[in-house]
Amino acid sequence: MSTKFSFQKGYRARAVFVILNTIFFIFMMICMIVPIIKILSDSLMNHTVYGMQLIPDEFNPIAYSYIFTRDSLRRPLVISIYTTIMTTFLGLLISTIGAYILIQREMPGVKVFGYMLMFTMIFNGGLIPTFLVMKKLKLLNTLWAVILPMALNVSNLVLMRSFFEGLPTSLFEAAEIDGCTPIGTFIKIVLPLSKAALASIGLFFAVAAWSEYFHYVMYISDTTKYNFQYKLRDLFADKQEAMEGIQINLKTLQSAAIIVSIVPFMFIYPFCQKYFMTGITMGAVKE
Amino acid sequence: MKKNLLIRLTGLGLAVITAMGMTACEPKTPEGPGGTASAEYTKPDSIKMTFDTCMTFENGLQDVCDEYKNQTGITLEVEKPDHNKYYEKITLAFASGTPSDAIEMGSTYYPENANNGALWDMTDAWENTTAPAKSVVDPSYVDALKIDIRDGNGPRLYGFPTVAGNGTVTYVRQDWMDQMGIKTPETYDEFIGMLRTFKEKGKPGTIPLTAAGLLNNGETPYDIYLREFYQDAIPDFYQKDDGTWVDGFSEPAMEAALTRLHDAFAEGLIDGEIVTNKTSTCRDKVNAGLVGCFNYWAGMWCAKLEDATTGTDPNAKFTALPIIKEAGHYTERVPTALVITNNCANPVGVFEDLIMYSHDGDKGQMLFTHGVVDKHYTDNGDGTCTALPYYEDPTKLCEKAFYAPELSISTWNDPIALDPRVEESLKVFRENRTFATVPVVSDVISENLANLNVVKGEVVANVLHGNISVEEGMAKYNKDAGKYVEAILADLNG
Amino acid sequence: MATNTDAIVVKKPPLSVRIYKYRYFYLMAVPVIVLLLLFFYWPMLGIRFAFSTYKLKHITSGKGPDYSTGLGNFKALFTDRFFLDSFRNTIALSFWNLVFATVFTVVVALLINELQHEWGKKFVQTVLYLPHFLSWVVVASIFTLLLSAGADATGSDPTTVGFINAVFLKLGLIDKPHSFLTETSTWRPCWYIIQRWKETGWGTIIYLAALSGISPDLYEAAEIDGAGRLKQTWYITLPSLMNTILIVFILNLAKILNVFESVFVLYNDLVLSVSDVVQTYTYRKGIQGNDYGYATAIGLFKSVISLFLVTGADYVAKKIRGYGIV
Repeated sequence: MSTKFSFQKGYRARAVFVILNTIFFIFMMICMIVPIIKILSDSLMNHTVYGMQLIPDEFNPIAYSYIFTRDSLRRPLVISIYTTIMTTFLGLLISTIGAYILIQREMPGVKVFGYMLMFTMIFNGGLIPTFLVMKKLKLLNTLWAVILPMALNVSNLVLMRSFFEGLPTSLFEAAEIDGCTPIGTFIKIVLPLSKAALASIGLFFAVAAWSEYFHYVMYISDTTKYNFQYKLRDLFADKQEAMEGIQINLKTLQSAAIIVSIVPFMFIYPFCQKYFMTGITMGAVKE
Repeated sequence: MKKNLLIRLTGLGLAVITAMGMTACEPKTPEGPGGTASAEYTKPDSIKMTFDTCMTFENGLQDVCDEYKNQTGITLEVEKPDHNKYYEKITLAFASGTPSDAIEMGSTYYPENANNGALWDMTDAWENTTAPAKSVVDPSYVDALKIDIRDGNGPRLYGFPTVAGNGTVTYVRQDWMDQMGIKTPETYDEFIGMLRTFKEKGKPGTIPLTAAGLLNNGETPYDIYLREFYQDAIPDFYQKDDGTWVDGFSEPAMEAALTRLHDAFAEGLIDGEIVTNKTSTCRDKVNAGLVGCFNYWAGMWCAKLEDATTGTDPNAKFTALPIIKEAGHYTERVPTALVITNNCANPVGVFEDLIMYSHDGDKGQMLFTHGVVDKHYTDNGDGTCTALPYYEDPTKLCEKAFYAPELSISTWNDPIALDPRVEESLKVFRENRTFATVPVVSDVISENLANLNVVKGEVVANVLHGNISVEEGMAKYNKDAGKYVEAILADLNG
Repeated sequence: MATNTDAIVVKKPPLSVRIYKYRYFYLMAVPVIVLLLLFFYWPMLGIRFAFSTYKLKHITSGKGPDYSTGLGNFKALFTDRFFLDSFRNTIALSFWNLVFATVFTVVVALLINELQHEWGKKFVQTVLYLPHFLSWVVVASIFTLLLSAGADATGSDPTTVGFINAVFLKLGLIDKPHSFLTETSTWRPCWYIIQRWKETGWGTIIYLAALSGISPDLYEAAEIDGAGRLKQTWYITLPSLMNTILIVFILNLAKILNVFESVFVLYNDLVLSVSDVVQTYTYRKGIQGNDYGYATAIGLFKSVISLFLVTGADYVAKKIRGYGIV
């Protein structure tokens, strides 16, 4: 799909477009990154600056060493990583299974199944009943109370289905003729062809799990089971005790905690993105 | 599609709900003894307590519980929910029928639950107790928590204060005052004069006075941040000497207060962003060395503000101002209560062995205030003690276990000396305070208060910004809020 | 994607045969259905609280909800001016936000797709989606700083004036600092822009994944036919994306009334008339009222509205494309 970059006749419009497009994204990137640079800069100065100072006047990584040496912040990082991996894995499993069932248009009851899913997107039971259910299921104070409800995400499931619908039906027919069971087709054909979907929806699950806060607050009282996002919120709580045992500047610590919470995904995304490059059909033709 | 999707979806949902039947989620009725008490009681084996403002587990809260078991033989299990969702968690615990024996409750939640009959009446237990706390605790703090739930029994006690309610004082940059030759303001004119001098002589960007909102974000007392401007106006309901309730916001004093606020704002003496300020924004501005006056918590915060500001401005020095003549007083909030729920099997035991013990003016108090000897503090052997660093941060000394030492409600000689700045700011506050009363609660009030506060907020903010005049503001208030005010007053006086 | 099997007159085999054919699928559905019933449908029994008075006192005293209220909660709702205002605001804010989100995100996704440089493409995307990770509290504090008119209400001391005001002043667009977040005329545009700032990059992910699924053969064929870049986008890319666009649109429509945090951290007393939404209204009422029955009634009302919106959108989608998303 690459086109020659040139100002010769016939290519001129394209060249102008490329230049404008580049300028547009440079502008967008500046808008997006400036506030983040401000946070980064705040995280490196162990005193409060009011206003948009973008270049730190000191380089003091004390807040970062604080985060990585204190048990109360390091352990939540481990919990975050664990629940993120578990939720992403289970979430992808449930969404792919659910989506695979939903594309079986002729399966008796499939419509009811679809409506049942959609209905939960719109109606919910509310705080107290959900809590009581968790209590009855004996899930309070376990990480399952966080992981399981997040693993079934109807939006993600519906998006996954839309990707599966794009797969050529001939592939399924061919697999059936080859004697594949539905489970076999699912594992051998559907999943390998859905890398872009798995990458993007997996990312949705991972980010949702990483930023989850509410479920921890509601269902978990054991302080050793809180995640990093919970601690991050705790640092921002406007309470008199917020600074208990914290000797460094609160604003500095807050900023550093934000940076730490973003960094993992700066590295994960380019990795996921490589699956966006290989098109579904292209992959199918090659294999 | 033969059928309408809407009907299908709804029908299906209802069908599923019905199918799941009467697996009801209703809470069980709690059983508990009534409010009888005597000096004789059985010692509880274990106590479960929910607490918000205590030391973290990472800093050794479990060691405090272990030491408590060591001293009393009672297992103390503490739950410390997230601060932001503390009251949701308590509601959920009640809803599932398993609230803790003892719960720390703030002054908004406490009266409501007392009214509801969820809390154990500890009036008799307090009257009859023979515990040392009886002679050590300052009864004015205990009385501040008495509530008349209008059941004919008069004011009763449903919770015991953990620490003093404390309140806010106006901190000022003492170093600026010295440098600009300003003497401590005693009247409103002198106070405004001081702000004016800050603005004129201060460096560019100086904010003479900042506050986090105009009406304390709808929490009572509404006027704590701007006492100097509200003065004798009370932007809330209050009880006159003859016992009738009136709405302070519609009184003439409020007009004068709005005029003062508007004039000072228009002159640039009040932070231009006061309407959008969060507490953290204010602290940022203060710590960046921009602010002259900031009304904030008395006590520890004097030292905290100063320490954080010296990072930017090494000369920064904060002093608490005595209240100016026209304003009359700062306000001490209703203390935070430690309540015993009606679900508790042995309330007298919890009252005696937990609450009374924690205020005994001796080792119980020391444990609840400073923690465990040789873990959180050391005994110097000469009657004084020294705080030890936090487990998690060797550079900072332990401040408290459950109760903040500087806010103790008893005549107890703390063996650990306070930072003189903290002591000084508390002294100024206590010389200038009056006690707030427990807010009244009723169904009518809770139904109307939120909307009423919205109208108040809109009026004050718009008058301040000059979008409407003071007269227009008062007219708008009477028009928009009239029906809420009427309903609430009818209920209060009825 | 022809699912219109009803049109083809084929005699269906008996139900038992069809069920047997799909036996493995039923087996696979079990875990999904179990999760669905346990975590979503079981708590839904709580919807009945909407028809009761269920306050803190009913909870803490253990008495349980009082069902004598009946429709009382709904009556109270529709006579409350503040609720009706907040409902109107929610619809206006969410609707425009959804429109801007859909258009802007799709355009940015298409433009990203046009970037030739592989490394540059990755870099742009990574930077663009970073704001999604900042919580609303942080975003609000940054934008309050950026949009500030300064702490000096007289406007004579420019030291603390926010960046955007400073730029506008310099360019001569305004003659004195404007407090964008406290003026009723500017609050909503600011809110839309901040929403786009935070979520656009993240929103492109799903479209970029969908774009990667378009067969290159289609473009090659178009190129042979002499279609230019713009025509290719119009006739191939957009139609191929339509399915995803519609699904994302309808999924977002279901959540349209849930806007809360972004407003909560950015609104203030001065702009309440244009910014108060149902959730912030509920929040304020909740703090003072603690009426759980009332809160559930509001929730149920929102759900019913969402149900209408989603079914409506699905119906339109079906008319246009022949099949809906449900």
